[in-house]
Parts: sequence; C-alpha cells; structure tokens
Amino acid sequence: MKRIEQQADANPGFQIAPMIDVVFVIMLFFMVMAGAVKVEHELKTTLPGNAETAKETELPDEVTIGVSETGEITLNEDPVGAANDKLLENLYNQMKQMGQAAEQSKTKLLITVQAEETARYERVINVLDCLAKANITNVTFAVSDTE
Amino acid sequence: MAGGGGGGEGEPEFQVAPMIDVLLVLLIFFMSITSAQVLKVDKNISLPVATNGIKRDDKAAAGLVNISWDKTTGQARYKLDDRELDANDKDGIAKELADRKGTNEKYRLLIRADRECHAKYISKALEWGAEAGIDNIAFSGLNKEE
Repeated sequence: MKRIEQQADANPGFQIAPMIDVVFVIMLFFMVMAGAVKVEHELKTTLPGNAETAKETELPDEVTIGVSETGEITLNEDPVGAANDKLLENLYNQMKQMGQAAEQSKTKLLITVQAEETARYERVINVLDCLAKANITNVTFAVSDTE
Repeated sequence: MAGGGGGGEGEPEFQVAPMIDVLLVLLIFFMSITSAQVLKVDKNISLPVATNGIKRDDKAAAGLVNISWDKTTGQARYKLDDRELDANDKDGIAKELADRKGTNEKYRLLIRADRECHAKYISKALEWGAEAGIDNIAFSGLNKEE
C-alpha cells in the first residue's frame, strides 16, 4: 500500500495533449469507416397475379424482360443486354422511354421480369436495379418453368 | 459588430476546451453513423450490388429469408431470420409466415440470396410468401461491391 501512495504522489495530473491525440486517432478511424461501410439496399417487387377484382381495371402495357441462364437479357424477346453487360444501359434507355411514354398517355406500365430457372440471382438484381434507376415501380418477378 | 475583435488587447490565446468540445461532437457523430450502418448479413451469403435500390427500412416488419448457395453441391440452403428451414416443409413455412404477418398488410418478404443462387430457388421462397398471402416482396443487395 505504501508503494501505491508513493506512485500517487508522483501523478503529474491530467494531460490534455495525449487525450487529444487519442481522440484524433479514434475520430480518424470512424471517419474512414463511415466512408467504407456497406449498406443493404432493397428492390421492391410484387408477386404476379395480384389484382383487385372489385373495381374496373384498365389493362396496363405489359412488358416482359427475360433473364436467360447465360445472363443474356431480352426485352419482349429482343436482346438488349449481353451476359457481361452489368450496367444494362440499353435496357435503361428503353425503359426510361417507355416510362415517359406511359406517363404521357396516363397508362400503367407493368414490367414482368421472367427469369429462367437456372438464371443467377445477381443477373436478376442487375435488371431490377436498372428498372429502379429508370424509376419504374410496377415490377413483378416470375420464374419460367422449363421442365 | 461591436463584439467582433474590438478588444485590441492582442490576439486571443488558443483555447483547448472548445476544441475538445468540437472534437468530441465530431467523434460521436462519426461513431453513430458507422455503428448504425453496420450490416448484419449471413457470412455465407455474398450479396449482389444494387446501387439504385432504396435503403433498407429496418422499422417495417419483414420476414427475412436468407438463401445461401453451396457451390459444390449446387444447392441452396434457406434460413428464416437465423433459423434453418426445411425447404420441403412448404406448408409449415407458409403457416409460420402467415402467423408472423397476421393482419399487417404491409408485411413484406425480404429475400437475401447469394449472387450465384439460381432463380428457381428464389421462386421457392416466393411460393412460401404467396401461400402466406404476402405479395410485397423485396430483394436485397449491397450499395457497393464487396
């Protein structure tokens, strides 16, 4: 106990400079982390075949986007994206135009993303992400039965 | 303007106390934004990138279906939140989802699948949702590449 008392007497008091050093280092760490943090994003869809039958419904313009096993993307059977095209600029431009046309004619645009059974999830997300970029919200997802 | 540097008694000394106040506020700010954004994802799942998606709303009720992908067997494994699911027990899973949904019409199914997972396995999870009366489906992705 005597030794501890002796040590306490030698205490130079609270030092502000090392504290600021430590706070700076911690702050730098959190600043760097804030930029690198990964956040979860979600892409909303609905299940096909969900319609209210009580009121009269207008038939929307239906567009089908196909996702093949190899990753190729088709728009109403016409190819719009190669397997290695992740950004899908061609699809985006066409979707943007369709969205604007539907808005002008005050019709609903209904997009069905039809993936083959063995199509990769990443490719489906590429398509849904492209549709989200083109501000198209009325999207349904279905998997074609090839068996 | 009267108070703005009219003292004329030389330059004011550097004040440590307000600097520490500012530093601590900044520190708390960065601490809060980093800890609030920490991603809680199954480590077996490598999510694809969805930069244009909306940020996940943690407050909205959702059934979280994690679908991991076994490359060696080419099979998917399902988890509802943290609990492993038997994919063949369609009725049991649908009942559980229906119970969770209750009368909440906004209840949604959040699909979090590995980027290599095949669409037919996603479709299976959608079938469970349809059986449970959930038509609000969201697919999960990351804001940037891993």
